[in-house]
Amino acid sequence: MTKRSVRQPSLSQPRKTRFSSSSVQPNVQRARHTTNERRGSGDDSRLSGIRRHTPDYGLLVAVCALLMCGAVVVYAIGPGLTIGNSLPDNYFSTKQITAILLGIVTFAVAGSLPVALWRRLQTPIIASAAVIALAVRFVGESINGAHRWIEVGGFSFQAAELIKLALVLGLAYFLAEKSRARLMHTPQTLYQIGALVIAVLFVVAGLQSDLGSAAVMVAMIGMMSFAAGLPMKRLGAMFVVAVVLVGLAIGTSEYRRDRVATFLNPQADCQDEGYQACQALITIGSGGLTGKGLGRSVQAYGYLPEPANDSIFAIVAEKFGFVGSVTMVGVFWLLFRKIYSIARRSVDMYTQLLVFGILVWLSVQMMINVAAMLGLIPLKGITLPFVSYGGTSIIFVMVAMGIVFAASRYTDLSAVGVGAGAGGANSKRTHTQALRRRR
Amino acid sequence: MEHTQNRMTLFYWALVAVFIVFVLRLFQIQVLRSDFYGSAAQDSQLKQYEVPARRGSLYGYDGDRIVPLVLNESTYRITVDPELITPDKRPEIARQLADILKQPSQDIEEILAQDGRYAIVATKQPKAIKDRVDESELPGVFTNEIIPQRVYVQGGLAPQVLGFVNDAAEGNYGVEQALQKSLAGVPGRVKALTDQNNVPLLATNDNIQQDPVDGADVVLTLDVSMQRQAEKLLERGLTRAKSKSGSVIVMESATGAIKSMANYPAYDPAEFSAVEDPALFVNTSVSSPLEPGSVMKVLTVAAALEEGAVSAEQSYEDPGVYTVDTEPIRNVTHGAGTRTVSDVLELSLNTGATWLLMQLGGGELNEEGRTVWHDYLTERYFFGVPTGIEQGSGSESAGAVPDPVEGFARNITYANTSFGQGVSTTPLQMAAAVNAVINGGTYQQPHLVAGERLSDTAIDIHDHAPRRQDVVSASTSETLRGYMENVVVKNNQAAAREGYRVGGKTGTAEIANPDGGYFSDTFNGTYVGYVGGDVPEYTIFVRVDEPGIPGFAGSSAAAPLFADISNMLIDNFSVPRVSQ
Repeated sequence: MTKRSVRQPSLSQPRKTRFSSSSVQPNVQRARHTTNERRGSGDDSRLSGIRRHTPDYGLLVAVCALLMCGAVVVYAIGPGLTIGNSLPDNYFSTKQITAILLGIVTFAVAGSLPVALWRRLQTPIIASAAVIALAVRFVGESINGAHRWIEVGGFSFQAAELIKLALVLGLAYFLAEKSRARLMHTPQTLYQIGALVIAVLFVVAGLQSDLGSAAVMVAMIGMMSFAAGLPMKRLGAMFVVAVVLVGLAIGTSEYRRDRVATFLNPQADCQDEGYQACQALITIGSGGLTGKGLGRSVQAYGYLPEPANDSIFAIVAEKFGFVGSVTMVGVFWLLFRKIYSIARRSVDMYTQLLVFGILVWLSVQMMINVAAMLGLIPLKGITLPFVSYGGTSIIFVMVAMGIVFAASRYTDLSAVGVGAGAGGANSKRTHTQALRRRR
Repeated sequence: MEHTQNRMTLFYWALVAVFIVFVLRLFQIQVLRSDFYGSAAQDSQLKQYEVPARRGSLYGYDGDRIVPLVLNESTYRITVDPELITPDKRPEIARQLADILKQPSQDIEEILAQDGRYAIVATKQPKAIKDRVDESELPGVFTNEIIPQRVYVQGGLAPQVLGFVNDAAEGNYGVEQALQKSLAGVPGRVKALTDQNNVPLLATNDNIQQDPVDGADVVLTLDVSMQRQAEKLLERGLTRAKSKSGSVIVMESATGAIKSMANYPAYDPAEFSAVEDPALFVNTSVSSPLEPGSVMKVLTVAAALEEGAVSAEQSYEDPGVYTVDTEPIRNVTHGAGTRTVSDVLELSLNTGATWLLMQLGGGELNEEGRTVWHDYLTERYFFGVPTGIEQGSGSESAGAVPDPVEGFARNITYANTSFGQGVSTTPLQMAAAVNAVINGGTYQQPHLVAGERLSDTAIDIHDHAPRRQDVVSASTSETLRGYMENVVVKNNQAAAREGYRVGGKTGTAEIANPDGGYFSDTFNGTYVGYVGGDVPEYTIFVRVDEPGIPGFAGSSAAAPLFADISNMLIDNFSVPRVSQ
């Protein structure tokens, strides 16, 4: 894979700071920037030796494009969804735009906080996530037999979103610590990770019946452990255990068995069990090359379940056709490529794992959603990040993006991001720009 | 960390691979197979359905005024979408609905808890209830389904004549069935892309809309107050005669317009679905043929006079019994003697009618006489074919006239027909035939439809051309009126009125046993006649089935009912007096 072809010529050993001593021991050489250190801003740049630089605004562009697309689709189909209930025409779009505005505020706040601060915030976040994860079972609202929501001051709060944030923060810290202490190979680490997987499966898949979110979380645990250096053999063992547990989860619930059976032959039963899968394909397919147009969606009105929410990708595909759906997939790819690049070029293990964990969170969730709509995997009730209607999802995803945005200020600009194969020219230019900025 | 970066890169390229699969799959679904999915979408989304047309109303007369008989009213169906009602809200919504609909709250709550997205809470609710449901603004409760309902503004008048409209908006029986096409109008067509509840989505180019054409408002010839009185008198007359069923027809003599057509027992058309015996729906005046009995003698006399076989004042020697094909023909009350043609009606002589049939054959019962009589029955009196009155298609009976040539024992068969046995007619057929004989000789088409109501002030009167204008000559007609008025004066004094010409003839008909022969103990009483001044105004037919009182059914049961009807017409419906 990629190798660092170019390095900063003046590199030095890291200084121990208040933070580095308690957390991360970077094992890379970093540039020395005494001026920066003197400023004593207290953020990670001091230990990495990398000065705060312009964040990756491209990230913001991609996120805004997706948010806008979601808002436009919800605005277009919202009035139709209010027919038959006593909600006002703009009910859905108003709520969605409110959520987006709140999301932008949380993004701005999270984006301006130093990444290291999240290590201090993780304890209350993890604690509240644990409380809510269990509380939702008892005081939560049951929709279609799944306990996933909790009413907070008139808002339905989706517990899984908070758990994902808590998980990514906790794991990044835990794995970075283990890695620093060179304990990734120990059986104890494996057991701890295994226990976490089982806990997530028990609480999210079991208590909350939210298999989609559980899959995303297990992927986050698996991929982050993998990235942190869990040996392949151990990872393989964990994978086997996970497969067995998922098999058990499917086998013990008739509802899940039906879903799998439906997936294996969705066309056979377009009226009943396979209805949703079949309608999703019809919706996407009827969009054709260029789509039906913004106001001409038909499938949204009663044919396709959750048109503004879990099925919004299909509605986008119906309205804007192949051109639109590929564009949306393309924007997601650009966004993920940027997050990946930031993760790669982050200079300490904690930030790297945190950003990578967010990448896994968002991308696996997006891939499960789209793959389900395309009939590639059994359907899961899971939101499409940024686009789907729903306040909780947007706000927490925007917190995560804020963290990535903050991290993008302290990337090693000399490091090769994506497409390392491109060789020196590109990297050299990046390096030169980096130097120019430092002056 | 390099290790970490490599592993992250692995994930990234896996992601890229998945995205490539997505793009390929999207290409497959949206480009390669887009036609297939597009038509699958259209199949479920494109709905073609009808916008119902308003059904035409029915009107009648009250004297010269046109008054409504049957109108339409919109009733509403109260439905719910159970998915829009959360379990915690069910009791409250059920309570409020129960309060408005006056139904048990528990039943409604069960409906609210049903699976699916559509459930009916109540049907046929009036606008007031619909408005109250709308005002309460209950979530998931709908009142937008309109179900048209017939309203009988004159009460349950003439139900068998009018028929009813079933829940599928189809006319059943009577005028409703006969005029189904023009009353129903032409439904509008809408072809539209719809949501899953079949509500058209407006913003599509594929929508086609064709407005409905409302049904015609039909004016019937019935006079509502005459009909009401006829129904009342019929019921009273039947009670008096201890009979279970019967009918009365009042026809305008000059036009054939049916002014009243009452049948008993009747039913309430507004509650047609509560009727258990479908026989109640049948208009027996046009659907149930019966052997008319002695009322036929009016027509036998008319035929013999018209053919010149006998003269008006002619007398003959009646032997009291004729033996035809070894069967004896006797009179019920009179033996041998010298009789006149007028006596045939006054004394209701079966032998006299047989004698008249002989005269048509040149003095004996033969094929010539039978054929002449048969031609009168079928070509002038129009027996054996439906009259074509506007009643449910196929519901009118043709009756039966025996063949004059083919068959066994034609002479006795035909001798019987001359006094109304072995031949069957509906009450309406008999009324129309007698009407032709007494109104100057014109067979007027019997009809119930006067025309079409175009607006409050305009009506389009339909022409009903006479079937035949030379059934009998004017002088034969006048002679017959003389005979029939004599019958009333002699035998039915209650009907005779100073200053009016009232004529009639009884009939006591044997009832054919389906197993062959006749019942010996039960008879139908019939009476045919007219009331008028210089010319007949109304022709009347009365039928009393199997009266339970002693005496001959015709004279004891039907004659008094006829008198009630004729007096009612004279008293209340401005029959002109005879000019001095």
